[in-house]
Amino acid sequence: MMVFMKRNLKLFFRDRSAVLFSLLAVFIIIALYAVFLGDVWLDSMKALANVDFLMNTWLVAGLLAVASVTTTMGAFGVMIEDKVKKIDKDFYSSPIKRSSLTGGYLGSALLIGIIMSLVTFAAAEIYIVLSGGAWLDAVSCLKIVLLIFLSTLMNTSLVCFIVSFINSNQAFSTVSTIIGTLIGFFTGIYLPIGSLPASVQTLIKVFPPSHAAALFRQVLMEAPMQTSFNGIPVQYLNEFKYHMGVTYSFGGHEITPLVSILILIGTSAVFYGLSILNMSGKR
Amino acid sequence: MNKIIEVTNLRKNYDSLTAVKDISFYVEQGKLFSYLGPNGAGKSTTIDILCTFLDFSGGEVYIDGLDLRRHSQAIRKIIGVVFQDSILDDLLTVRENLTLRAGLYTSDKTEIRNAVYEAVQTTELGEIIDRPYGKLSGGQRRRADIARALVHKPKILFLDEPTTGLDPQTRKSIWNTIKQLQSKNGMTVFLTTHYMEEAAESDYVIVIDHGEIAAKGTPAELKTRYSSDTVRLFASDEAGLRQLLHDQKLDFTMSAGEFVVKLPDTMSAIPVLENCQTCISGFQVLQGTMDDAFIGITGKELRE
Repeated sequence: MMVFMKRNLKLFFRDRSAVLFSLLAVFIIIALYAVFLGDVWLDSMKALANVDFLMNTWLVAGLLAVASVTTTMGAFGVMIEDKVKKIDKDFYSSPIKRSSLTGGYLGSALLIGIIMSLVTFAAAEIYIVLSGGAWLDAVSCLKIVLLIFLSTLMNTSLVCFIVSFINSNQAFSTVSTIIGTLIGFFTGIYLPIGSLPASVQTLIKVFPPSHAAALFRQVLMEAPMQTSFNGIPVQYLNEFKYHMGVTYSFGGHEITPLVSILILIGTSAVFYGLSILNMSGKR
Repeated sequence: MNKIIEVTNLRKNYDSLTAVKDISFYVEQGKLFSYLGPNGAGKSTTIDILCTFLDFSGGEVYIDGLDLRRHSQAIRKIIGVVFQDSILDDLLTVRENLTLRAGLYTSDKTEIRNAVYEAVQTTELGEIIDRPYGKLSGGQRRRADIARALVHKPKILFLDEPTTGLDPQTRKSIWNTIKQLQSKNGMTVFLTTHYMEEAAESDYVIVIDHGEIAAKGTPAELKTRYSSDTVRLFASDEAGLRQLLHDQKLDFTMSAGEFVVKLPDTMSAIPVLENCQTCISGFQVLQGTMDDAFIGITGKELRE
């Protein structure tokens, strides 16, 4: 299985365009903010201190939440290619177990998602500091790394489930483009959850990757929120949190970090199960 | 005589269609075995089953004494397969490809390195070992595919139309490599092919059509049984020639204005020619070929 995983990793990273394209969602979000969305937010919150820092961390949290969706999707490109070019025939006729093959595809996707997210995180931290923010403290860094692991684990399971239905290159690239474009909406990144109609808000709250986004926001924005809302009544801070999707409420109850984490774990379990069921049934 | 592959009443049903209908045959160890048939005859289905890649609906298959149903994992270790399509990774070099695939069989690093070296030597890939597979020519790719199939030193080598789509020169050199594997290394070679001249060089041939065995035997046997030698006569006096052939009680057919007479062997042409001398302006004596035999068996041209 290790040999097979190594192969998948090599194949992914050697295809430069695939690597670049797998960051599609990240690029779309950065471009949107660089071009116009960023200014809109800054204008509306000028009164707050250090608002640049606050907004940058909010944006980075969103990037981290979706980076592992599109990168793991890109990683599964190897699996589709193997199916389409019938390369998998070669593996099926060699003494490697089918479960090791499935495990190899999953493992390499997971690893690719984690690596690409960590790279995104490092690049984002440098950007935040360069544009006047502060470094994240060590404990929060550790939390982010753990969150990256957990959210990638979940996103891999979701993506794997979707990909297990795909049998052609064309379908694969269409689906990955759609997901890469829409994911920013469903996680409340293009537009903050508070500025959307109630029905869409509900949709965002039941979409598991949104909970990863919220967790990332809670950790990354902790320090800048303290600075920016220093001396301002706490009800404004709470309103801000709900508006920007730092915390969600469901029927008046605040969703705690623990609940969000459980949602991530539960989703992973369900979708790994479904994917394996779907992938092993075919011959 | 050691039967390394033994197939009894093999049957494969797809939803509404039976691709392989109760086929039985065996392959002797160390022999070059050709499996011949027109497109859609069931060749690839059979090879996919033997390579443990496809499940079958009925019958029994033993490979090297192992039951295909129960010991597929053990069988996978002793077979090497060259598929019709390229199955190596375009972005990786030949060496990386071979090393990775060798890793599917063993985790011993030195063993892998030696095996890759040997496979590369056998297939004469030395010069291009560090080039990406995707940048190779058709013939080089085929060599790399064969090297891949050899990387774990299999007892049996399966090749699904190994020379299809190659230019004549490359085809010849690939074919020589295959022949050498069999004659020098004593490997059992099982191949499907479209080319008669290749089938003619194998030890044993099975012709399959509509999922059934249409004929089997050595190339010589098939030629004798299903093709005949002919003499073609170019008439100078058509009516006279017709009469002469009639007098000799020889059957003939007309083809492109020539009289075609079937003969038991080429030597029998001499008396016929002597008797017809006065009425012909020329002649051609043709030995039966595997092509004729194939058409004789299946009633259709192979290469379409």
